[in-house]
Amino acid sequence: MTTRVAAAIIGIVFGVVLSWSGMSSPEVIREGLLFKSAYLFLFFGGAMLTATAGLALLRRRAPRALLTGERIGWEPVKPERRHVIGSAIFGVGWGVACVCPGPIATQLGQGIWYGVPTTAGLIIGIVLFRRLQARVAHDPQRTPAASVIPSTLAGDATA
Amino acid sequence: MLRSQLPWFVGGPLLGLCVVAMRWLMNERLGVMGGWSDVVDTVAARRLSFGPFGWMLIGLIAGAAIYALIAGGPVFEGYGWLTDTFSGTGGTLLIIAILFVCGILIGVGTKIAGGCTSGNGLSGNAMLSPASFVATMTFFATGIAVTLIIEALIS
Repeated sequence: MTTRVAAAIIGIVFGVVLSWSGMSSPEVIREGLLFKSAYLFLFFGGAMLTATAGLALLRRRAPRALLTGERIGWEPVKPERRHVIGSAIFGVGWGVACVCPGPIATQLGQGIWYGVPTTAGLIIGIVLFRRLQARVAHDPQRTPAASVIPSTLAGDATA
Repeated sequence: MLRSQLPWFVGGPLLGLCVVAMRWLMNERLGVMGGWSDVVDTVAARRLSFGPFGWMLIGLIAGAAIYALIAGGPVFEGYGWLTDTFSGTGGTLLIIAILFVCGILIGVGTKIAGGCTSGNGLSGNAMLSPASFVATMTFFATGIAVTLIIEALIS
């Protein structure tokens, strides 16, 4: 219960910041990817550096998670083919539609209707992936692309 | 002030602190795709008992709605290069089809790669995970290449 409330509050902060930064606008993403504006890279870089410094500090100073009491820690994931292939497929959608999963959600929240067909596709994408995963678990030999769709994804906590 | 873009040196670090908060409070990797997956998987199982990730996504959508209520609707009209290039009823239908297909690519691609711009790009890199570094380089390179190709085609 408390973890759900906390996660929802983190989500609200995340949503306000993404919206306020203009990330729901395809033009903001596109001008970043075309190097016409430095904002996207500075925003992303600032977030990544803060997160990196914060996690490094947690690893040294915070032995247990505040709400769950769980030991704070994680294992680095080794790169596999699926990280390249999956990210390349994602990159095509990102480049054309100028949104990733966070901005798709903020478009919905801000009432930008263009986010609706993108959301429908995203949901179908997840369902397709789960079906492929089930097929790989059932019959790996006869499933196409079985090497990039393992039945369980070790290391990706949220995948 | 609410309608002008938040300076990157404020927005960026705030987003980074969300990643830190998720780890500090519950030892989880913040990823928006984790939220979408939780919601889709839970609904597919005919339940509505979302976990923390599903609630994070609900918060994300609510946060954007709160922003829109306070600051007003989006400052832009249309939808970037798509509405600049395709017009009329046929154009709108084409844009809907393009966005739908892109949604599928984004969904399948991020699931295969085990993360999106937040899960791999922010959290995974902050965890110094080599897989996330490779994923981030790949989606930025592909995204930039596709955008440049589109720019060359439409200009």
